[in-house]
Amino acid sequence: MPYNIAMTSDFFYPQPGGVESHIYQLATKLRDRGHKVIIITHSYQTRHGVRYLTNGLKVYYVPFFVIYRESTFPTVFSFFPIFRNIIIRENIEIVHGHASMSSLCHEAILHARTMGLRTCFTDHSLFGFSDAGSILANKLLKFTLSDVDHVICVSHTCKENTVLRAALDPSMVSVIPNAVVAENFQPDPNAASKTHITIVVISRLFYNKGTDLLVAAIPRICELHPSVHFIIAGSGPKAIDLEQMLEEHMLQDRVSMVGPVRHEEVRDVMVRGHIYLHPSLTEAFGTVLVEAASCGLYVVCTRVGGIPEVLPSHMTVFARPEEDDLVNATSRAIKEIRMGRVRTDKFHEQVKSMYSWTDVAERTERVYEGICRGERVGLMERLKRYYGCGVWAGKLFVLCVVVDYLIWVLLEFLFPRSNIDIARGWPRKAVGTGERSTRRDRSRRREGVLVEEENARN
Amino acid sequence: MPLHMQAPTPHRPSPPRLTTPTTDITNPAWAQQNLLPIDHRPPRAPSPRPPTNTAATSVSSSSSAPRIKKRKPWRKLLWVKQDYPDNWVDPTFLSQLQRNINVHPYDFYSLVADSTVIVQHLSSVVIFVTSFIAMVKERVSPVSVALVSTALTVAGWAVWDMGWEKREKVPYPSPPPERGAGGSSGASASSSPVKKHRIDSIDVGDNSTSTTTITSTSTAADTEAGQKSQDEQSYIRSQQRSRRLKTAKSTLLIYFTLLGLSPILRSLTGSITDDSIWAIATWLFLANTLSFDYGSGVEVKFPASLSTNAAITSSVVLASRLPHKDELPPNTAHVFSLILTSIQVFGLFPVFRRYLKHVSWGLHVCLTVMLVLGAAGGLGAVVGWGWAVVWVLGVVGGMGGCGWWLIGLQKYKKCIHGPWDPARPVIRRQWE
Repeated sequence: MPYNIAMTSDFFYPQPGGVESHIYQLATKLRDRGHKVIIITHSYQTRHGVRYLTNGLKVYYVPFFVIYRESTFPTVFSFFPIFRNIIIRENIEIVHGHASMSSLCHEAILHARTMGLRTCFTDHSLFGFSDAGSILANKLLKFTLSDVDHVICVSHTCKENTVLRAALDPSMVSVIPNAVVAENFQPDPNAASKTHITIVVISRLFYNKGTDLLVAAIPRICELHPSVHFIIAGSGPKAIDLEQMLEEHMLQDRVSMVGPVRHEEVRDVMVRGHIYLHPSLTEAFGTVLVEAASCGLYVVCTRVGGIPEVLPSHMTVFARPEEDDLVNATSRAIKEIRMGRVRTDKFHEQVKSMYSWTDVAERTERVYEGICRGERVGLMERLKRYYGCGVWAGKLFVLCVVVDYLIWVLLEFLFPRSNIDIARGWPRKAVGTGERSTRRDRSRRREGVLVEEENARN
Repeated sequence: MPLHMQAPTPHRPSPPRLTTPTTDITNPAWAQQNLLPIDHRPPRAPSPRPPTNTAATSVSSSSSAPRIKKRKPWRKLLWVKQDYPDNWVDPTFLSQLQRNINVHPYDFYSLVADSTVIVQHLSSVVIFVTSFIAMVKERVSPVSVALVSTALTVAGWAVWDMGWEKREKVPYPSPPPERGAGGSSGASASSSPVKKHRIDSIDVGDNSTSTTTITSTSTAADTEAGQKSQDEQSYIRSQQRSRRLKTAKSTLLIYFTLLGLSPILRSLTGSITDDSIWAIATWLFLANTLSFDYGSGVEVKFPASLSTNAAITSSVVLASRLPHKDELPPNTAHVFSLILTSIQVFGLFPVFRRYLKHVSWGLHVCLTVMLVLGAAGGLGAVVGWGWAVVWVLGVVGGMGGCGWWLIGLQKYKKCIHGPWDPARPVIRRQWE
């Protein structure tokens, strides 16, 4: 049966990024499967209110106070009135939060549980356990996930991390990887140079993306292999280090720094290379690796976080996060490419069969089915769950939940449900544009559309 | 392409992922047992990954056995489509988790020994405060206190100056074995702090001929040893002279600055009420004790400026409360003495304490005992001997008790490491 789903996160377009495109793709594919999906995020500069994306996806940009890197200020309760309004207006059954740094998502999950809705949470990142910021974030996560129906992680390493951080039962955590739109990452064998090997690096130039390793390794790789060229795309605080390195070793003619690249242009940069180098120090999934492999690039990457799970060994060369090993691994990759032992031309089809958003949506739908069949829990049961979070934290959490419940009762009294308009669904054509739709898919979609149309008529 | 062949075709007859009996979320019993966070469930065996076994056993008990056998073992991969539900918990779950790998247990006696540094500082604060109270009560004259502390400071400086060569490692260019014989106790001291002296050494004592002789000492060491030690002696002496001159210069500078400022300082906070003065002084002393740099060794020249500044500011604040007649501000000489004492106690004394701890552990302990007893004496003389006893017992109990407490708390230590931690890049800095 089709569900009404609200995806909630602080991170959504117009800001570019991995979480943003994940939400967009998943929502689109779920809509293709006949569900109704809306997205709730905070307002971005001039963009606030309700918007429809070109494919009919409805986005609520809720005015909110942003504190740091597009994360909203955690006010615990202030989001509730407007959230309740949206939920009732859109007839939402499932609230699906994304990204653990998003306080909007945590608040939404809390309020949704108070309102008796089903909740789901997707974690996209890895966190440590030692520094103060992580400890705070982990406490917040533990609070929210004390009472959530299901959690989705993007990799097995991410699942281990989340289970530890939020003290969850591992069987209520599913692993559903990210995917790529393989059509957008078509290889182009003619774009790359025939005479020399080009290594592409596309990443934000931050410390945790391993730019220091890159700065150390590039001069040595250039020295070892005189015919190798580099293309570096991306911006960030470490760009200066790279430029200094280029000047110091006079590599300007062999290393070109492209600067920031829009996500649509990533493919055009990628196809100009033979090898993709990814020296990141931590990574939950590493979508860019899949994109590179889809473009037919041989991937050299560090063996950190969830990266070893992402691609088969014939597409990748792994290195330890050490300068020497990175140089060795890159040299190995250059040798393999020169000898023609890597069939990079087949990568695209292989990646296409491994990762697709349709598959992700299908698996997410199964999670929804599972949580909707589960028992509804009462307030007392919820309070018990929160109370077990810790000696002091437990009491604090219980207090928050009780206050939240009282606010809900107050809202029901002040703004009765009967006064809230129900929004009409977006009319859609029954044209299958999915990547690969099985017969079952198509019939389901038709069903979904019929139901939708009926709804609209009513 | 064998690896490619392993990946199933898109049209695989995949079993629904969430419908095995293990993960049937519809089952209320399962939900009750498994949808709760770990904390709420009845305690299990203290295994680091509790739910694994339950999941595995319930699968084998509820599903048909041959089907399990046919399944390929689960692999921790995302690119291959596996015949397992998405929320499958494999026995290898969290197998890469490491706990407390870099944690070393504390030793009780070393903890107590390390706490002497804190006790020393607390004692010197107590001594300063009690002597101020004594001044206010007109038991002692500020001038006499300043005289005593100046005498002690000069004595301390003499000891500190004697150990200069040992501590700073004579920058005279002598080969390692000679140096080892000359200053073995200072072997661990860092040689970095006085670059300037090292540059001087090239002007004064070094020349190309002496360097060549030193390189050849291994063959004819005995004949040249006398000559060289003489060179060294004269070099050290000249160094000493310039250093002492410098110290005298800065001492005089501080002395006269303070003397010049005293008339201003004595009335600076005169218009503030007593209550505020006591409150400000208390906070400043607290700031001094909390921000004091207890950890650094002799190599640090001016550690924790906030701490020193707080203490001296507090003495400036207190200066206006020195005994005075009627409407007039306190005597300039008294104000000068108080601030001078405070500079000596909070600015110079910590340097000496660090040095003494570095040189000799026995003397360090002696000084600690003397300071604790001195503070007790001060407390006894000013507020009563009962408080002195409480102070001594508090110090002894605190040293032992806090150490024991910290060791007791170690059992709660849970350092978790795993593949999700950001890697530490290993970089050879050969390019810099």
